[in-house]
Amino acid sequence: MTNTSICNIPDTVTVSETETCAGGDLCGIASFLADYAALLSGCGATCIRIEKNTRRMARALDVQFDIFILPAHLTVSVWRGDSCNAVTAMRKTAPCGISFNLNARLSRLSWEVADNHLDLDTAIRRFDKIRETEPTGWKEVLILTSLANASFCRLFGGDFVAMLIVFVSTMAGFRLKQIMLEHKHDVRLTFLCCSFVSAVLSAGGHIFNIGATPEIALGTSVLYLIPGVPYINSVSDLLYKHYLCSFGRFMDAVILTACLSVGLCAGMLIMGLDW
Amino acid sequence: MDSIFINIIEDGVFAAIAAIGFSSISNTPRRAYLMCGLIAAIGHSIRYVLMLPALGGMHIIAASTIASFVIGILAVLFAGRIKCPAEVCFFPALLPMIPGMYAYRTIEALISCLGHVQEQAFSHYLYLLAYNGLTCAFIILGMVIGATVPVFLLKKLSFTATR
Repeated sequence: MTNTSICNIPDTVTVSETETCAGGDLCGIASFLADYAALLSGCGATCIRIEKNTRRMARALDVQFDIFILPAHLTVSVWRGDSCNAVTAMRKTAPCGISFNLNARLSRLSWEVADNHLDLDTAIRRFDKIRETEPTGWKEVLILTSLANASFCRLFGGDFVAMLIVFVSTMAGFRLKQIMLEHKHDVRLTFLCCSFVSAVLSAGGHIFNIGATPEIALGTSVLYLIPGVPYINSVSDLLYKHYLCSFGRFMDAVILTACLSVGLCAGMLIMGLDW
Repeated sequence: MDSIFINIIEDGVFAAIAAIGFSSISNTPRRAYLMCGLIAAIGHSIRYVLMLPALGGMHIIAASTIASFVIGILAVLFAGRIKCPAEVCFFPALLPMIPGMYAYRTIEALISCLGHVQEQAFSHYLYLLAYNGLTCAFIILGMVIGATVPVFLLKKLSFTATR
């Protein structure tokens, strides 16, 4: 049995706090690396990137390092010399939602720490600044997503009327998603409600016989909800042998797809359409 | 011939808009929009061309894998220019190729399957469940393998883009 000391580290570590820790500066480093990896995991980075970025910083901070990643939690261990005296920090995956912007900024931070040999305090300060990154404005995302789904409808062979129907139903459904997530509603319920609203609105094409391709409008109106990034991440983790994370991400994506399918079916049922 | 060319261009343009829009949901940095759109347009047009009946009509799984391979190479080569990791470039570019329609038709078939007790109807929906589910799974598998192979081959370049 190894003599690993698990530090009780608060979310934000200051220098004075780390000084009182039995592991010395190792506690601060473990805490920083665990916070970093938890945020990177939360923003939708693949396991190989989490491992590579964190290891890169650990090497620059002159510690040996190992990481254990699970879908909802992760554990970081750092040590010098004998691994029996490793300091371990455990974190919950940050609930920040998928963000490529955070992913890019955190990756850049890891290179800054590695190449410029930043000390721990500077690295923590920069990390805290990255944590405050604002997400893309809701209006911009709403318009771009609606345009994207209308374009998608075109790719599936829809005419311009179908594109217009999809644009409107996506805008309504996606706005509902933003509002429900803002009010901290369950993400599965949110997906179900949004796909229901989009399906009901886009069924109008069928009911009022608008355009030549109403079935394509109906079929593509909910595609903005397909969790594409978790699906891709899941296979990427599978290829790098992170099977548990891969399965976790895959199940997340399948459950959301099931919720949106149920919402779509319910919408069609209410509007008297067969699927 | 002209109409095919226009269709290819149209496919690329709409794929680019779809990629930028869907990636904005995942907070893609603005500086990456143009690059993601361009890579998505090239990738999706390649898939469109490969699947054209006049050119042999390749199966959607093989066509998606080849198109994703090209997307992966372009993403690894150009990610450094916008100081973003390679996946920030190739994930949005892959999003328009995600077989969403197959994914939710799988679940629809499952619901229909459970709602029918007669053998013939049950077998039909079971067939739809298997067909849509397998096609969806293998398209995604092919896409990610296709896009990840360049990351493996050009590992050094892939993980130093944000340096």
